[in-house]
Amino acid sequence: METILAIPGLLLASVAEHAVERDMTHLMTQYILQLAVIMLAARMGGFLVKRYLNGPAALGELAAGMAIGPCALGAWHIPGWGALFPPVAGIFPVSTELYALATLASIVLLFLSGLETDLRVFLHYSVAGIVVGTGGLLASFFLGAWCALLFNVADSLMDPSALFMGAMATATSVSLPARILSEKRKMASPEGVTILAAAVFDDVLGIIALAIIVGMSKTMASGAVMDWGKISVVAVKSIGFWLILMAAGLLLAKHIARVLKLLRSPNTIAAICFGLALLLAGISEMAGLAMIIGAYIMGLSLSGTDLVYELQEQLQGVYDFIIPVFFCVMGMLVNFAAMKGLIFFGLVYTVMCIISKVAGCGIPALFMKFTPRGAFRVGAGMVPRAEVTLIVAGIGLSAGYIGPNLFGVAVMMAMLTTVAAPPMILSAFRGGSGVRGEETAQEQELSTAVLTFPSADMAEFICARITRAFRNEEFFVHMLDSDVPTYQIRKEDMAFSIVQDDVHITISMPLQYEHVGRLIVLEEVLALKDLLDSAKDMQSPDQMGTDLVSNLFV
Amino acid sequence: MDVKKAISTDTVFQDLKSTTKTGVIEEILDLLIAAGKIRKENRAEVLNALLVRENKMSTGMQHGIAIPHAKTDAVEDLVAALAIKKEGIDFDALDGKPSHIFIMTISPVKRTGPHIQFLAEISRKLNQPSIREKLLLTQTKDEILQLL
Repeated sequence: METILAIPGLLLASVAEHAVERDMTHLMTQYILQLAVIMLAARMGGFLVKRYLNGPAALGELAAGMAIGPCALGAWHIPGWGALFPPVAGIFPVSTELYALATLASIVLLFLSGLETDLRVFLHYSVAGIVVGTGGLLASFFLGAWCALLFNVADSLMDPSALFMGAMATATSVSLPARILSEKRKMASPEGVTILAAAVFDDVLGIIALAIIVGMSKTMASGAVMDWGKISVVAVKSIGFWLILMAAGLLLAKHIARVLKLLRSPNTIAAICFGLALLLAGISEMAGLAMIIGAYIMGLSLSGTDLVYELQEQLQGVYDFIIPVFFCVMGMLVNFAAMKGLIFFGLVYTVMCIISKVAGCGIPALFMKFTPRGAFRVGAGMVPRAEVTLIVAGIGLSAGYIGPNLFGVAVMMAMLTTVAAPPMILSAFRGGSGVRGEETAQEQELSTAVLTFPSADMAEFICARITRAFRNEEFFVHMLDSDVPTYQIRKEDMAFSIVQDDVHITISMPLQYEHVGRLIVLEEVLALKDLLDSAKDMQSPDQMGTDLVSNLFV
Repeated sequence: MDVKKAISTDTVFQDLKSTTKTGVIEEILDLLIAAGKIRKENRAEVLNALLVRENKMSTGMQHGIAIPHAKTDAVEDLVAALAIKKEGIDFDALDGKPSHIFIMTISPVKRTGPHIQFLAEISRKLNQPSIREKLLLTQTKDEILQLL
């Protein structure tokens, strides 16, 4: 009797399970199709902008996201399926799954950004970096936050909206100026060196500022009224947490690296390190800060170990795959309807963001060794904003600190500063020296050596050897761009740049130190002779080929 | 970088006797062995490394300066010497002129360090004509070190 009674129940449970399974399958199918469209659109957008507008791929990826997002083409009804990106209820227009992928991408981005920040260089070149970076950070934060007051989207500077508008204005994206300067062979110039050093500080200070802002916003969200006493508590807590994590990271990084090397598997080492970055990201969020802060600290801690190049190489594939998706999803979050009436606000905010970096970085640069022309160059180089602005905006939107309107304004600002920066930088770098004092200017003039090889493969091989030779001479070698391999090489007050483009290797060096640059490169070029001589002694490639396939078809 | 960290009165040599390129290289090497900077049993290995490097491209630069150098694991640290031959000799210099001032460096292959940088820095100092002229007029090793 009990069995008979139980049958309808079992049947119902089975039907329900089946429905859940079907639902899950449908959801997953939709998710995979969405991913496919995102991936294709992002790549296509990136390719088109890069190829035909000679702009950064990120711009095309963002634009592609805006076009296919739930507030544009994504909402279109596909017969037999429905909308590919149906708008999600609430202020957050994309699904949790898609935003999770963007969050993962932001962790990858900040982990790699931390890894690229060589802590020793960071401490060594602190003076120029601190002065220019801090100036730009303060000016952009306050002008950005003031914009929120000006357009009545915040009641006071302590309002989370104003704090986030300030934070979104701070972080410079240095990859664009680095690429332009390397193309113009100006990366080793005093202005180029200062821009790159300041951008590193800007990152570190910006992340600390974000920690404080997230802490303040969370406190205010709990209903507490912020006064200076509470701000100080939050600031001390955030900076304290940052310092504790950083100190623990620095103390443990060398030991972690030593233990991991025992595994003798670069893949496993990279996976474990990334796992640790995720762990620290989670802990960071639980401690009331943002996840990217933990990821950045993990990267920064490991940047001083000898695992750094291996990790960068192993994670490059993940980066190439996930970052276009990140920019595309960020574009998809733009709600055009919410932007109505805010275009003027967006334009004013963008102009403020440009002025704040040009003046905020340029004026402190004037008090160092730069002329007004040099100071303008430094400021112009700090103008572009991209990934960190979008990440901060995403954090603000997902936590409800800013609305879709301000998120749209942030995307607009990131896109416009990215478009405005290249012509600004190019025109700023026209003309003579930007350094004060004739003698200093002469010493800082650049000397360029271009080596041409018979093939791109050979140029790539020699470039790797040259950078290794500089490392052997105890220089810091920092790869800035992997598309056109671009390196910044520094030691004490020497700064060289090396760009490998197809069959050419271009080395730029200050006249003052050209002896050092030229002799180190000369030794590597001469070592090539040994290599070519040894190639002559090698078994004939024809014979090798014959040996390889001789028993294939018996 | 401080050039004097690698060059001291022990490794400054005046009035070289040899009149040929190989002879000068061997003479400086022997003086370094006598100064206890290189082990005698490693002489052949170091000499070979120096000559192999010379064969690739002469280290005779311009304005009477030559920088014979090599990397070999026969040394554990950077060994450097500055030697002068006032009359000058033919060192296959880039400008075809006789070489008077010789800076020799021998550095280990396996250890990283500012070895080429040292060579470059000292060459940069010697790029100033006044320093070169004064070097050739010096009478004592201390005077040479003072100029560096």
